Amino acid sequence: MKIRKTSLLFFLGPALFVVALFYIIPLFLSVYISFTPMVDWNVNRYLTQFVGLQNYERLFHIVMYDPDMRAVIMTTVVFVLVTLVINVFGGLLLALATYFMDEKMSAAYQGLWLLPRMTPIAVYSLLWYYFFHSSGIGVLNSILLKLHLINHPIALGLDPKYLPWGAWFIIIFVNGLVGVSYGMIIFYSAFKSIPRELIIAARVDGASTTRIIRHILLPLTKWHFTFVTVWQMFSLLMTYAQTFLLVEWRVVDSTWGQTWALYVFRTAFTTTKDQGLAAAASTFLSIIGIILGIIALKALGYEKMILEPKGDI
Amino acid sequence: MVSIRLDKVTKRFGKVVAVNNVDLEIEDGKLYVLLGPSGGGKTTTLYLIAGIYKPTSGRIYFNEKDVTDLTPAERNVGLVFQNYALYPHMKVYDNIAFPLRLRKEPKSKIDSKVHEVAKFLRIENLLDRYPHQLSGGQQQRVALARALVKEPSVLLLDEPLSNLDALLRVYIRAELKRMQQDLGITSVYVTHDQSEALAIADKIVVINKGVIQQEGTPEQIYENPRNVFVATFIGNPPMNIVKGTVLEDGTIETTGSRLTPPPAVLEKIKRLKLKNILMAFRPENAVVSEHPIEGRFSPMGDLFEVEPLGRDAVVTVTVGEFVIKVVMPTREAMQLRIGSKVYVNIDPSTIKYFDPNTELNLEYIEA
Repeated sequence: MKIRKTSLLFFLGPALFVVALFYIIPLFLSVYISFTPMVDWNVNRYLTQFVGLQNYERLFHIVMYDPDMRAVIMTTVVFVLVTLVINVFGGLLLALATYFMDEKMSAAYQGLWLLPRMTPIAVYSLLWYYFFHSSGIGVLNSILLKLHLINHPIALGLDPKYLPWGAWFIIIFVNGLVGVSYGMIIFYSAFKSIPRELIIAARVDGASTTRIIRHILLPLTKWHFTFVTVWQMFSLLMTYAQTFLLVEWRVVDSTWGQTWALYVFRTAFTTTKDQGLAAAASTFLSIIGIILGIIALKALGYEKMILEPKGDI
Repeated sequence: MVSIRLDKVTKRFGKVVAVNNVDLEIEDGKLYVLLGPSGGGKTTTLYLIAGIYKPTSGRIYFNEKDVTDLTPAERNVGLVFQNYALYPHMKVYDNIAFPLRLRKEPKSKIDSKVHEVAKFLRIENLLDRYPHQLSGGQQQRVALARALVKEPSVLLLDEPLSNLDALLRVYIRAELKRMQQDLGITSVYVTHDQSEALAIADKIVVINKGVIQQEGTPEQIYENPRNVFVATFIGNPPMNIVKGTVLEDGTIETTGSRLTPPPAVLEKIKRLKLKNILMAFRPENAVVSEHPIEGRFSPMGDLFEVEPLGRDAVVTVTVGEFVIKVVMPTREAMQLRIGSKVYVNIDPSTIKYFDPNTELNLEYIEA
C-alpha cells in the first residue's frame, strides 16, 4: 500500500505540480488580490493590506454609473452569444459537410479551416490588422474602393458612424474564424465514431441525407454538442488575446471592442494598472462563468447523459 | 414474389476487384447463402443487391426490372447486420417503426404493423426498451423485425448469427429457416460458417476472390465440390487432398499404394494427358485400422493423434507428406496406438479427382 502511494505520487506529481503552480496558486492569488488595494504592482506596500469588499463595491459602482462599463457588458454579451452560435453551429456545419465528403477532400478542407488555429496569435491578428486597416492599404478598403462601393477608406471598427456594430463585427469575425475549427474537429470525430452500419441501415430504411442527419447523426452526438457549447462558452468568456492586439493596434474601438476579460487585462496591465479592481472583476467573471456553465449543463441534460443504463444487459 | 438476377456484375474499390464479373440467379422464395472466407466478396455482393454499392459494371434485376440505378429504399429490401445496427437512441418500437415513418404511413397503420411483426417474432414485451437493455438474441429479433416490417421484396442477412454465442446460434438458425419458409420471402444470407450454410440454405453460392466458385444445393456442394477450394472450405474437417502420379498402366500411385480409378475418370485423365492427379475424400468416408480392409484403397501412415469428440473422434494420420484427418467412431479410434503404423482405408467410390493444374473436379470438365 505504501509502495502504491509513492508510485502514485511519482507519476502524478509532475502534472499536479504544474497544475498547482500555473492554475491553483494563481487562482487563489487573484482572489486574494481582489481583497487588497493593489495598484502599479506595488507588492511590498499593498500585499498585506486588507480592504475587505472595497474593490467589489468599486466595481459595482463602475458598473452602475460608468457608461463605458456598460459598453463592456454589452460587448461581452453580444460577443459571447453571437460568437458561440457561430462557433458551435459553424463547426457543426463544417463537420457535416466534411463527413459527407470523400476522405481526401475532407482532410484538405479541414486543414484549411485549422490554419487560423495553427497560426501564432500575433501573426493571425496582424493578418486581420491589415485586412481591416482604416487607411487605403487595408485589404477590405481597397476591395471596396475598387468596386466603387465607397469613395474613401472607412474605419469600420473605429468610426463612431459604425459603432458599436463595426467593432463587434470585427472581433466576432476574427474570433469566430478561429473557433469553428474546434467544433468541427470534435463533431467530425463524433460522427466518424458512429458505426457505419447505422448509416447504411438508415439508408436502406429509406432515409435521405437530411433525415440521417436529423434522426441519426445529431441525436447520437448530443453529448459532444453539450461539451463543445459549454467549452466554447468558457473560452469565449475568458479570451482576449486577438481582441487585445486589435484594440492596441487601433483597428477596433477601445470601448466597443472591449470584452470583460479584456477589461480585466487592460485594467491590470495597461490602463489604470489597478490590480485590486482587476482581480475583483476577474473573480466576478469566474463566478458568472461557473453559474452559466451549470445552467448550460442543466439545460442540455448533462445529468441524464451520465446516468448508468437501467435494465438487464 | 421476386427473383434476383446479377448480370456480369463487377465492383472495384480503387485497384481492388471485390466482385469480378458475377452472373447469378436467385430464385423466388428461396434462401440463398453466399459462403466464403472473409474478404472474398460476399458482403460486397450483398450490398450490391441491396443497392448500397453501385456496380462498376453489369446490371442487377429484380424479376425483369432493372434496379441497378435504384436506391435501397426504392428496391424495398430488408437488411439485417451482424452487429444488428439498431439505432441506440430509439426504443425498440421506434426502431421498428422508423422505416414506416420515413414512408409517411399513417400512425394507426404503423402501430398495427409494428405490433403484428413484434408478435410474429415474440418481442411484443420488449417494445418500450432501448437496444442496450436487450440480450444479443433479442437485439437480433428486433433487427429482423425492423427489416420485415417494410414487407420487403427481398430479405438480406449479413452474418446475422455471428455475434451470438454458439448454443443460441443453433436455435436461432432453425427459427430463421422456419420463418423464411413460412413467409416465402426471397432471401440472401451471407456467412463464412460452412456448417451454418449447409444447415440453412436452399442453395449455396461459394464465393472467393470475388468469383463464384460453385453454386448448388448443400448436397451438391458437399458431395461433389467443383474445385479444390470448395473441397477444402466445406466440411468439418474439410476434404483430405492427396497427390498421386498417373502410371503407364492406368493406375494411380501415391505414397507406395496403388489405385485403379473408375473408367470414366481414367478416360478424362488420358484425354487431358495428366501426369499427376489430386484425389480428395471426406473424413467420414475412411476408416483407420491396423490392417488394410478388403475392397478399400488403403495407403499406410503413422497415427499422429486421436481427438475424441463424444460419439465420433477425429483421427489424424501422416501419410508421406500428407496429413489426413478421418472421422470414425470413438470406440474404434481409442483402440489405436499413437505413433503406430496404420492404414487409412478409403471407400474408392467416394474419391473425387481434380486436375492439379486447374484444380477443377474432373466431373465438371466437359467430356
